[in-house]
Amino acid sequence: MTGILDRPSNAQISQSLQARSRARLRGLSEAQLLAYLADTVYLERKRFHEQRRSDPARPDEVARIEDCARATRGGRAEQEAALLALVDAYSGEIHNRFSKRAYRVATTVIPGALSRLLTSTNPRQLLAGEFDPDHRVILETAAGDDGAALRALARRHTLIFAPTHLSNMDSPLIGYALDRLGLPPAIYGAGLNLFSNPVMGFFMRRLGAYTVDRRKRNRLYKDVLKDYSVDSLGRRCHSLFFPGGTRCRSGRVEGSVKKGLLGTGLIAWQEGLRTGRADPEILVVPLALSYSLVLEAETLIEDSLEEEGRRRYIITDDEFSEPRTVATFARQLLDLDDAVVLRFGAPMDLLGNPVDANGTSLGSDGAPIDRRAYVTDAEGKVQADEQRDHVYTEILAGRLVEAWHRDNTVLSTHLASFAAGRLLRQANPGLSTTELVLLPTEERTLRRAELLAAIEQLLDQVRRLEAAGRIRARLPRGEGEVEAILNEAISRFRGFHSRRVIEGRGDRVVLDPRLLLYYSHRLHRYGLAGEM
Amino acid sequence: MNIGILGSGPWGRALATLAAEAGNRARIGYRGTPPTGFPGSPNLAALTAESDLVLIAVPPSAVREVVRFARPGPGSRVVIACRGLEPETGGWLSEIVTSESACLRVGAITGPAIAAEVQHRRPAAMVVASSFQEVAALTQKALHSPTCRIYTSSDLRGIELAGAAVSVLSVAVGIADGLKLGVGVRAVIVTRGIAEIVRLGRALGAEPDTFRGLAGVGDLIAAAGLTDHPGTAAGLALARGHAVDAETVSKAAALLALGQRHKVELPLVEAVAAITAGKLKARLAIDGLMRREATHEG
Repeated sequence: MTGILDRPSNAQISQSLQARSRARLRGLSEAQLLAYLADTVYLERKRFHEQRRSDPARPDEVARIEDCARATRGGRAEQEAALLALVDAYSGEIHNRFSKRAYRVATTVIPGALSRLLTSTNPRQLLAGEFDPDHRVILETAAGDDGAALRALARRHTLIFAPTHLSNMDSPLIGYALDRLGLPPAIYGAGLNLFSNPVMGFFMRRLGAYTVDRRKRNRLYKDVLKDYSVDSLGRRCHSLFFPGGTRCRSGRVEGSVKKGLLGTGLIAWQEGLRTGRADPEILVVPLALSYSLVLEAETLIEDSLEEEGRRRYIITDDEFSEPRTVATFARQLLDLDDAVVLRFGAPMDLLGNPVDANGTSLGSDGAPIDRRAYVTDAEGKVQADEQRDHVYTEILAGRLVEAWHRDNTVLSTHLASFAAGRLLRQANPGLSTTELVLLPTEERTLRRAELLAAIEQLLDQVRRLEAAGRIRARLPRGEGEVEAILNEAISRFRGFHSRRVIEGRGDRVVLDPRLLLYYSHRLHRYGLAGEM
Repeated sequence: MNIGILGSGPWGRALATLAAEAGNRARIGYRGTPPTGFPGSPNLAALTAESDLVLIAVPPSAVREVVRFARPGPGSRVVIACRGLEPETGGWLSEIVTSESACLRVGAITGPAIAAEVQHRRPAAMVVASSFQEVAALTQKALHSPTCRIYTSSDLRGIELAGAAVSVLSVAVGIADGLKLGVGVRAVIVTRGIAEIVRLGRALGAEPDTFRGLAGVGDLIAAAGLTDHPGTAAGLALARGHAVDAETVSKAAALLALGQRHKVELPLVEAVAAITAGKLKARLAIDGLMRREATHEG
């Protein structure tokens, strides 16, 4: 078996990615090749100009693009050579610096040092102390076991973990979760900006992160990134995709998915079938993350509320860029019971069908189906069809979205926020969401008793959704549960954010509508009336 | 190509005729009496497994049961060749296929092709839609011939909605004809009915042009000109004060419910639903529609 622990060299990766690119370029007409090259030159020059002050391009980067520019006036061979030189450079940038030794060290110390991982400024400080995360970071699997079913699947198949994405803490937390469940490590693409936190950068690289420079928007770079994913899956590297792309700005469970990276699973699978590779099967494991508090909530919801939110695709100045802020947050978050819930959903094939314990696809009647027939002809030969695969990926995306919503865990901070938001909405029926978040203090104050009644009503609705298997909940139960939910939420919100989301003041509570909106969004898309 | 047609009624046989005209081998899956004129099989699963393309030509209420018997698999391509939503659930017929079986490659075909005319080799045209280009192309290859033009589309939702709408709006046309309201009213029903469906289609993400083409306007004009079209015939019966079959009642109710779920006003559909359910007299319904508030066309 190969995988992340048998990391290929930079030269091997470059050779493989160049071969894929060469095949792609050969399929282009002369006009298409020229357009491909010109697109790369134009967008890279534009990038150089845009970041000339913040992060000037290196001379070798500029030289390669200028070689490409000259090649636009040359023949086909010259154009291909210029692009392949760029592929070589990109492959070096992207390929992870995963280190087997560092991985082993990290996975040994992380269970006892997760908080320090997030709070240290020097990796060497990681080696001391005890920390029991069992009640802080809750790990659940659809099989209801300790991860044995997933471990068995991971031994025989390549797994793609597909989580929701809320925070930059997600990937280290998932790395930790994989280790705690005894699952092998997974590679994942991480934005360059995430490496600005030195400790996180150190571990992200060594826990399988490969570098994604989102400032590079040219088609060649995107194609090389996809090829890298296909290549890695083909080498049996378990992979971690964030199908939603960037962190969800609104705090919602993602309702849509970017298809580019997700589609690489189908490509790698069919390539494996076509070439007769051993163990070509690839399965997808949905993963729903629920945080009591989200480090970057304030920045993200502000961004979501701004119409131009999408322009800030790369946020470099959020709470995550400040090691001290991360430290404070991690200390406070990880001091809470049920601080974070990671639920590994039921594994599925690349078409979104459920699979059994052996990884065999199952039909709606629970009977085994031969999934290869989705991509092969009657003689069992793989039939290439990009358009078909695009629709298959859309179907998989839809099944992932359903799974994330089913596996989403409601925590007290989410429930109390939705209930409070519902009351704000009822009190201000004519206002838009944007107007609601601008309410003055006196108009965003509620009677505590009124909020408790709203929580009780919402709790009943959530329990019904939970009984129907449409959502999960981890909330105080039993006598006085409503009061306990509100108290827990207020206490948690007191912890970190610069503004209190819900603040108790005697028989009244004062709300921060922006953050309320963010946390209430965890209950979006369940048909609950009165959403903010 | 081997074309399997599930449904041995007039429309199933018409599709078999078209497939044969296009140079393919058509077989009809049936339950009960074997079809005449074409080879048939009572084993729907075997027929499905042996077919390059499967066309389902049974009433909407029977689609789920037929799919359960036929058990299309991951390699199957299935095209819905009947109009409407599932009466009990209001669900899309193509989604019944994907939820009841392992088949993902589905499509739908509709348009102004009349079973009796097709069987007499008269010229016809239809449109097939699928998210999968290969399914649309395969269906075109299966049925396109000098007697029938098959157009392709990627707007599966629009095509299914158009089919469901025509089966209800044709009832309205029948009612107007039965009440002898004249040709002008018939044209009003066609145009305003299509306007309603365009609104609903927009809410569902369908393309407005779909409803202005063969599947919408084309199919409704054909239905309006045929007294033995199932919808028009039901409308004529209602105008005479007779009750209609449960399938017609449920088709109208399902379409109305779909509009309500998406908060789209459908006055004509609502009137047909009320008349077919026996809640409103046809003449009163027409009167009610004419007394609606004056508004812009759109």
